This record gives sequence, C-alpha cells and structure tokens, in this order.
Amino acid sequence: MKTIKLLVSAALIIAGFNANAQLTGEQIIEKTYNLPTGEDQSSTLKMTLTNKQGKQRLRVIKQFTKDFGEVEKKIMFFQSPADIKNTSFMNWSYNSDKNDDQWIYLPALKKIKRISSDSRSDYFMGSDFTYDDLGDRKLNADIHKLLRTETINGKDYYVVESISKDEDYMYSKTITWISKDTFIGIKKEFYDEDGDLLKILSINKTEEVSGFLIITNSEMKNIQKDHTTTISLSDIKINSGISPSKFTERMMTRGM
Amino acid sequence: MRTKGILLLIILLAGNLSMAQGPDINGYARTYEGVRYNNGDFAIIQQTLNLNIEKRGDKTAFKANPMVYVYNADSLNIGLREIYMDMYFDNFDLRIGKQQVVWGKADGVFITDIVSPLNLSEFLLPDFDEIRTGVIATKLNYYIGNSSLEAIWIPQFTPTIRPNENSIWYMQPAFPAPPTFNWSKSSIKPSLENSELFLKYSAMTSFIDFEIMGGYTWDDNPSMHIKKIVDMSTGSPVLTGLEITPQHHRLTVGGASFSVGIKGIVVRGEGAYYNGKYFQTADPLAQDALVQKNYLNYVAGIDFNIANVKFSTQFIQKYILDHEDLMDENQTHNTATFMARYDLMRETLHLELFSYIGLDDEDALIRPKITYDFDDSFSILLGGNIFIGDRAGQFGQYQDNSMIYTKIKINF
Repeated sequence: MKTIKLLVSAALIIAGFNANAQLTGEQIIEKTYNLPTGEDQSSTLKMTLTNKQGKQRLRVIKQFTKDFGEVEKKIMFFQSPADIKNTSFMNWSYNSDKNDDQWIYLPALKKIKRISSDSRSDYFMGSDFTYDDLGDRKLNADIHKLLRTETINGKDYYVVESISKDEDYMYSKTITWISKDTFIGIKKEFYDEDGDLLKILSINKTEEVSGFLIITNSEMKNIQKDHTTTISLSDIKINSGISPSKFTERMMTRGM
Repeated sequence: MRTKGILLLIILLAGNLSMAQGPDINGYARTYEGVRYNNGDFAIIQQTLNLNIEKRGDKTAFKANPMVYVYNADSLNIGLREIYMDMYFDNFDLRIGKQQVVWGKADGVFITDIVSPLNLSEFLLPDFDEIRTGVIATKLNYYIGNSSLEAIWIPQFTPTIRPNENSIWYMQPAFPAPPTFNWSKSSIKPSLENSELFLKYSAMTSFIDFEIMGGYTWDDNPSMHIKKIVDMSTGSPVLTGLEITPQHHRLTVGGASFSVGIKGIVVRGEGAYYNGKYFQTADPLAQDALVQKNYLNYVAGIDFNIANVKFSTQFIQKYILDHEDLMDENQTHNTATFMARYDLMRETLHLELFSYIGLDDEDALIRPKITYDFDDSFSILLGGNIFIGDRAGQFGQYQDNSMIYTKIKINF
C-alpha cells in the first residue's frame, strides 16, 4: 500500500514503533507510508460537505481496496446522490512511477471510459479533498523535512514539512503531525501557492477493526472558503478475502 | 385517456413494487423547452418522466426503464427504453429482454456501436442514453479475468427511427420527378433467418483497453430502390414519376477499438469495415439507382486536461472502397468533434462546449451549455444548438433550427 496513512481510507495498525529522535523527515514519512494495512479492505464512506451557510450535501460510496503487491486496486460504487447512483470508479495505483490507470462507468452512457489520471489536484466530488489528499500521492513526490517535535496532551509528535518537487503543485507545502509511538498522522496543514494556510485535516475518531486501527471520522476544513468536508467510514472489513474479480469490467458495470 | 391510464398504471406499479418487494426506484423528471432564435418558434416543448426500477440479487437482477414524454400540450409518448432480467453465474452473465447495448471507445459517433439503433427523430440532440433505442436481445458475457467475450442474438430487427414529415428535423429529399413510396419491403419479418448476431471480445489491462467485434446485421438505414416511371405515349420517353422502395439489406461488419493512457493523456481509436452497403448512384446502368460497396469508418481521438479543464477531440473519416464518380456520396467524408468541460463552484456549476465539425462542407453543430446544480437533486441547464455553414452539409442544413434551450431537472 502506498497511501499516506494520515488519510481517511487507509487502514492503520499500531505496530509498536519506538520513538526515535534520530529519524529524518524522509524516514518518518516513509514509516508512516509503509505501515502495514492489511491485504484488503471494504467500507461505506459517507462524505458530508458543509458550506459557510451551513448547507449540507451528502455523498455515499461503497469502496473496496486490495493490495496485489506491485499494484493497489480500488473500486468505488456511488450510491448517493441520485444523479450519480450506480456510477463506479476504478483506480489501479502502481509502486513504480507509472501513472495510475483510472476508469469510470457512467450508467447513463452504459460504457466504461478510461480517464486521464493527470488530475491529482482536482477536488473529489466537490469536496475539500483532492485526489492526492485521498491517498494517491506518491511518497517520493515531495521533499520531507523534520521541523520539530511537539507534545500535545501528553503525547509526542513529529512535525514534518513536505514540499512538492513539482514547483507548479497546488500546495506550496504541507505540515503533518505524526505520532512518535505509532507513526500515525493526526493532523495536517495545507498551504496554498502564496504560502497562506488553506486547509486543515483533523482526525476525529479512530476505531480498532480486526486488529487494525482505523480512522473512522476525519474532517478537512478549508480555512479560506469556510467550507468543510467530513468523512466517516462504516461497515469496515479488513482481510475479508475480497476476490480479484471485484476489480474488473464485470463488476464496474454490474455494481456491488 | 388510454395513455393517461397507462401512465397511471406505471406509477401505481412502481409504487406497488416499491412497497411489496422493495425494488430500487430512481429517475428524474425534466422539463425541456427550446426556441428557434431566427423566428421565435418553439423547437421543442417536452416534459419527461424517466424511471429506473431495479431489483438486484446475488444471482439475478431485474430492470425496467419506463419513460413518459409529453410533447407540446397533449402529445403523449410512453415507452419502455429497457426491460430485462439478468442471471449471474460463476464465469458468465446472461441478460434477456429489451436492452441498450453500447460498444466502442468513440464519443458521439457510432462506428462499432451498432447493436442498438438510433432514434434520430430529433437529429443528434438528445442525450446519449435517449438517442439509442433498446433492442430485444439475449446477451451472454463470458469472463476470463479482466477480459470478456460477449455474444448477442437479436431475433427481431429494429431500424433507425427517422423524423416524421411534420418534424423540423425532416428534410425532404430532392427528386427529379414526383416520388411514390412503396413501403411493402421496409420491414423485416422476425424469423431465425432474419436475426442479427454480434460478437465482441474486450479486455481491460494496465497498458491498454481494447475491443474486437463482428456483426452479421441489417443496415439500420434502408436503401432507397428507385424505379423510374416513364410515359412513352408521346413517342419519346418522359420521366413522370419515381417509385421508391425503402428496403433494408444485410451488412457484415468487423471492427476494433482501443483506449490507452500515455502520461495523463488518453488516446482512443476505433474503426470498422462494413461489407455490402448499398449507396445511391446516378449511374443510369445501375439497378434501382443503387450500387453495392464496402467502406471503412474510423475515428482517432485524445482526451487531456489543462488547468482543470477537460478537453476531448476526435477526427472521424468514412472511406468508400472502389468508389465510383457517379455515386451520390464522396469517397471520403471527414468530421471532427471537440469538447471542453470545466466544473467549478465545487462541481455545482458546469460549463461545456461540444461541437461536431463537418470538415468537407465547412459546417458545424456547436453546443454550448451551462448547468447549475442548486442541490444534489435539482439542476437548471441553459444551452444552445447552433447550426452553421453550408446548407448542403449534414449540420448546415439545419441552420433554421438553431435554438437556445433550457432543461430543468429533478433527480430522485
């Protein structure tokens, strides 16, 4: 699995790492990145978008993920709102530098389309999460630097700054608070191209499922737009033996 | 009264199904009005109710898609776009019933996508799910990993639906003498011998998606067999009329399509070889003013993003093999499409421009539209269908039908 474990869909395990003050920013992020997460996972994702007037929009997605070694496959079935019901989306993410393969099935068009994966900075379904934020960003896409350590509520955290190697990237930098004990990220700040704070990701709730610590509620708040997206996970199953056939054309068109 | 009764029955049936068996029901209601801007006449006044009634199980599924169209004040059109059942087995699926089938990788053009015929009663303007008609078919999909073998048997041929003579989309062909139509051969009798067969192999891989298809089908568009009626009473032949007999003929089609991602750009291609198509000709020696030729139809296109704007463009060419000068159609016919789409305001405001461009006749259909989603179920669309260019062209001929329109839609 290549996903940065701060992110909402990742399965996180408390692996008993010992705090190590000698670690560099790169090594800390790598440990977070490489936390074991199980072979497969399924869950129902509810995404609530709240604007500054308090008006809410809800998206519901059933998602399945499986690690095949060199490639991680993910398939999402959209259940709500009504106009996108039965739409499905599949992503194959590679350990190598190869671009992701992505397909979308639109029930109105009745066909699967391969889509361009060159849109990492696009916001996912109008939310405050970009595709990168949701976990598809590669480890080596950024330069990571340990800024300091902090103690919050009696717990120690690394504070790591990450700057994209791509000068045109939408964030000038991100700063992540990572637990010294577990290497789990608990907070992340995103700064815009002018260096101003844009968004803050906070972890609201974690639960243990099949021995894995899962982030079941998180919130991304856009400070500049006063817009918030809350993600909650339910019906979580880990290592349930999802068949490889789940990640195929057949399932995209047929649905769950 | 009868149609209103059917409508009521559909609604009651949907309600009963919902309560008794718990099928999933969703759909939309839509009002669609368009005004021709050269004379202010309404090009369309249409109210639509579209229902999707689905019941899914582990081994079986059922779907019905009734739709109701009310045109102008009182013209009611009720139909079932699809109604079928699915059966799922370990390695194959079976779908039986009226269904829409979509093949190929091209957008907005129909090269290998020939299983479901088109409803062209409003030219190419309806949404793509509304422009295809359902066919009564048995479809078998056999799966091998990420590839699939699909076989389709259609016992009863369905032709392309053309605009009726009162429609603004009907173009009266020019004849040198008064025509008389003989419709006796315009339909195909349902029989085993007259069925249609289609076969497709498709695969999705990390490198490329592709399809290889073949079809033993009927030409969805009838050939016009023309016989001259000549008066010899004056001693010299005088053309007094034409007897025109529309007739569908067999076509054998083979083709392929692909889609590949290259560094964030999607490259698509699709092509087909059509064997045995009848073309109109002015050759006086030709029987019924027709000549049989084979032709190629293919498309190449790319999809890419620039600054969060999605672009897509395609080039399409039709090429008639062994072409003759007296044929009505030129040997090649070139068309292009262009699409740009930009979603903003958290995907609540959508700007889109789609165009068909006739490269030979220098004509085009330009379709800008702006859609605003007030919430997740309610949207308003403002758009234009602008026909420009040579009136002899496929798009230019509809210059007088250029329109602005609005669609207000509620999804449920």
